[in-house]
Amino acid sequence: MVPQEIVTLLQVFLFPGFLFLFCLAFFSDWMDRKLVAKFQNRYGPLYTGPKGILQPVADFFKLLAKEDIIPIAADKTVFSVVPMLVLALSMTPLFLIPMIDYSALIWFEGDLIVIMFITTLVIVAMFMGAWASTNRFSTIGGMRVGLQMLGYEIPMTIAMIGPAISSKSLSVSGIVQSQAVGIWYVITQPLGFAVALICLLAHLQRVPFDVPEAESEIVAGWLVEFSGKKLALLKLSKNFELVLAGSLLVSLFLGGPLGFWLPHPSVYFFLKLIVCIFILSNLRALFARFRIDQVLEGAWKYLTPLALLQIILVVI
Amino acid sequence: MVAYDLAEGKETGLISWARAKSPWILHFNTGSCNGCDIELVASLSPRFDLERFGILQKGSPRHADVLVATGPVTRQAKNRLLRIYEQMPSPKSVIAIGSCATSGAPFNGSYNVYEGVDNVIPVDVYISGCPPKPEAIIHGLLTLIQNWGKKQRQQ
Repeated sequence: MVPQEIVTLLQVFLFPGFLFLFCLAFFSDWMDRKLVAKFQNRYGPLYTGPKGILQPVADFFKLLAKEDIIPIAADKTVFSVVPMLVLALSMTPLFLIPMIDYSALIWFEGDLIVIMFITTLVIVAMFMGAWASTNRFSTIGGMRVGLQMLGYEIPMTIAMIGPAISSKSLSVSGIVQSQAVGIWYVITQPLGFAVALICLLAHLQRVPFDVPEAESEIVAGWLVEFSGKKLALLKLSKNFELVLAGSLLVSLFLGGPLGFWLPHPSVYFFLKLIVCIFILSNLRALFARFRIDQVLEGAWKYLTPLALLQIILVVI
Repeated sequence: MVAYDLAEGKETGLISWARAKSPWILHFNTGSCNGCDIELVASLSPRFDLERFGILQKGSPRHADVLVATGPVTRQAKNRLLRIYEQMPSPKSVIAIGSCATSGAPFNGSYNVYEGVDNVIPVDVYISGCPPKPEAIIHGLLTLIQNWGKKQRQQ
């Protein structure tokens, strides 16, 4: 019989923990690039490993080995701390999400609120990084990061509160467990699902809402001065954010690791995560970019009332 | 000044593999007539799809590995070309696309051009043609990547 401590250590470092999450992040990046390429009638990464599946790994190691430039004018401490901070903050919420079982590795009543808080902190860290790099493009990008957060944050929170009200639990694991006995919340709360999906797209800064890093107007937005190791960490944390967005949708609205006939619940979680990443990439390939004022206007005029309407319907 | 200092002998096999598999390019027009630029864009487009080799086009010089320069370097573009080259992080290479970028071609002897990118910054690969076909551009990029590998094996 293996002692409980060793099992917990293995869980933290190997299977639902660090190693698995790294693989998941790289896999989601590859799938995203490949899907967008297919939509545009291209092949996408092809020669790096089988079907180019090692492409994100190659990008990561190449960036790690490159020169790490810190601009003279930059605030050196903040500039160096921000990539690590963003990576840590975007990885932490993934431990609160039940992936292989009905309860997560760490869970307590109220971890949904912790997840929302951490997703906001990530944005603040991004803003600090943009400000510390003292580049005119990154400053504009940073301001847009903050402005966009003012738009999508509130409807996203309201949309995520919907499942919490229905299941009378403020923890993600509790919401998943209540869907195990009831019905998936995507069926009872389709409006909330749609609002959460759009807001998460804005949180991920993906194409209809990629105003903060709009490549054709402000070069690379808030990322513009980061190079080498820092860029590698930031890109990795963006992949973690994608995984986090997908798994939040899966566990709040699609029933988490619940299923009928497959042997292990994590298989279900993985399949649903793939569906969510497919939706997110699909939208990325189909839309053009909004302007920042259009993002804010849309979020306040349409998303917030819709999210509130969903809450009213849930409460009634 | 060397064009790339991959030859420091510090890299392991993993890193040189990673470098060869994901060269990100930065396109800079040093006074070209847009012919070569269109061909470069065409080689990134669905028909030729440079992303098969892991090649992405990046906007910021801080993110790029390979500077792709098109056109004879005009006096106005010279300082900007130098600056962009200096802004790129260290293992970096330069590709000159088109006859103008190689030698100045029809502008040779003109008063307002520098007659080729290699009069300003060191160049690794020259791709001739006016404009070169996308196949030629892909061949040039892959030649560059293969030469990275050779340089390291000699060390």
